[in-house]
Amino acid sequence: MRLLRQTWLLTRNDLRQEARRLELVLTAGFFTLVVVVMFALAFFALDGVVQRKAIPGMVWLCIAFVGALTLTRVFDRERESNTLAALLAAPVDRLAIYLSKLAVTLVVLLTCSALLVPGLGLLFPASQVFAADPLALIVLMVLGCLGYAAVGTLFAAGLATGNGKNVLLSVILYPLTTPVLLFALVATQRLLEGHPELWATLSQIAALDVVLIGVGAWLFETVLIGAAHSSQPARSPDASSRAAAARARSTPTN
Amino acid sequence: MNELDFEQPEQPEQPEQVGEAAQTQAPGTKKVEGRDPATVRLKRAYEAEVENKVASDYSHIVWAYGVIWAIFAIYGALLWRRAVAQRADLAALQAKQK
Amino acid sequence: MKYIPYALLLAAAALFPYCVQRVFLHTPIEAEMGTAQKIFYFHVPLAWICMLFAVICGVAAGVQLRRRSDKAEALAVAAGEMTVLAGVGVLITGPIWGDATWGTPWTGDARQVSTALLWLVFVAYLLVREYGPPNSERIAAALAIFGAIDVPIIYYAVKIWKTTHPQTGVVGSLPQSMWNTLFVCLAALMMLSIALVWIRAAQARMAIALDQAWIAADTQPGAAQPA
Repeated sequence: MRLLRQTWLLTRNDLRQEARRLELVLTAGFFTLVVVVMFALAFFALDGVVQRKAIPGMVWLCIAFVGALTLTRVFDRERESNTLAALLAAPVDRLAIYLSKLAVTLVVLLTCSALLVPGLGLLFPASQVFAADPLALIVLMVLGCLGYAAVGTLFAAGLATGNGKNVLLSVILYPLTTPVLLFALVATQRLLEGHPELWATLSQIAALDVVLIGVGAWLFETVLIGAAHSSQPARSPDASSRAAAARARSTPTN
Repeated sequence: MNELDFEQPEQPEQPEQVGEAAQTQAPGTKKVEGRDPATVRLKRAYEAEVENKVASDYSHIVWAYGVIWAIFAIYGALLWRRAVAQRADLAALQAKQK
Repeated sequence: MKYIPYALLLAAAALFPYCVQRVFLHTPIEAEMGTAQKIFYFHVPLAWICMLFAVICGVAAGVQLRRRSDKAEALAVAAGEMTVLAGVGVLITGPIWGDATWGTPWTGDARQVSTALLWLVFVAYLLVREYGPPNSERIAAALAIFGAIDVPIIYYAVKIWKTTHPQTGVVGSLPQSMWNTLFVCLAALMMLSIALVWIRAAQARMAIALDQAWIAADTQPGAAQPA
């Protein structure tokens, strides 16, 4: 109960700040529009049958791109004002930090998919089948984005630093999120085809989400502590660079 | 022969069989069983097929084994180089401590 | 203790010629796939080694996080490198074999794709370790654990994804003599990879110790007279 309350407080705080500036939502939303337009330009000539096969890929590729963009920014506020260390020192469960960031990412991703899916429906007539089963569509988007955000939030905490190391986040993100994206891809395909096993696949994604959130919550603390206390433990983080400096000093100047 | 559906040249078959029939009927020659040109051609085609397959398998195997061993050899060389560098590093440290 | 990996290397070197002789001379040629199936005897053990060291890397990374142990960290790095190395071997020999028997190097078979994804995860692990921001070894360790947990999930995900694509023929049952040869090759490759991982882990520990010694030597006597 306490965990949920803390999570809710942190999430509300983040969302309130977001509502004030709308930075994440606006940039990610605009990026979604750009990607949709680019898909429309690239795949304009596809006929109906092929479109139906290509649309699941478009949906989830777009989510993957937008997600990487969002995740690099989710922890920025903490880093810029250095509130991460304060947050860690505060009597707040670390799990609550993870869950609140996960919730924020999820909100941004779902806002983007609210632009993405109708946009695709407008530009690609084959994807208007989406409208036939709105409940399944909403469940699918929530579950898929949740799984993606669960993995992404974990590593964004440690890696999305401001010093141009963001490439590494994408390098990690795409291989690790491939399973959940593949499941979502299959489910989208089945949604478009009206496959009878759609709900079975959706429940599989839900199970996978539970596993991913569980692992993410379990590993979050170690990753976060690695990122926040950069100069504490016995083997200090930059031991190798300090040792390199020591070596350089000891060699005769040339 | 019919169960082996190899591509065999279709059109010269008929005239040659006629020629062969004419040949076997020549005086002083004996008919040899199973040596008609169609069979021989079929056998040659079959042998060529096998030869191609063996050659292609051979090159594939050589490539595969070469790749595996090259990978391990390169990794071993890297390890060896790193060990040499570490030994030099250790020597430098010991020289500094003296 | 110090000479065990070198003894293993020697044993592996002695076993390899026997393996090759056994593979090419003493084992019957598989009926359907012909001689190209000889790749199998090194391809499959390499795949097993790749999976095994992926799991070892994840477990060692877990121990590293829990105990803050240098030993476990060194083992995790070495196992991660071996996973990537064996993965390269598998991913190159697989298409070569596929080209010989299926006529196409990449069929999108579930095992192919999941091996490739696993390989990508561990390449990412090595990249983060090498180029990550300060203190990224904890993030890398989390990544390794995640990767090890991901192994079955990846396989299942690729399998369900495959259901929308055409199926391809897979290796059927093999006679016992081929399995025996496979196990001999597995033993040789296993000894080789354990020896290499061992040597690499020793090097990684040595590197950590050297760094600490350099810092210590730098801060104690060198503080008085910085050059």
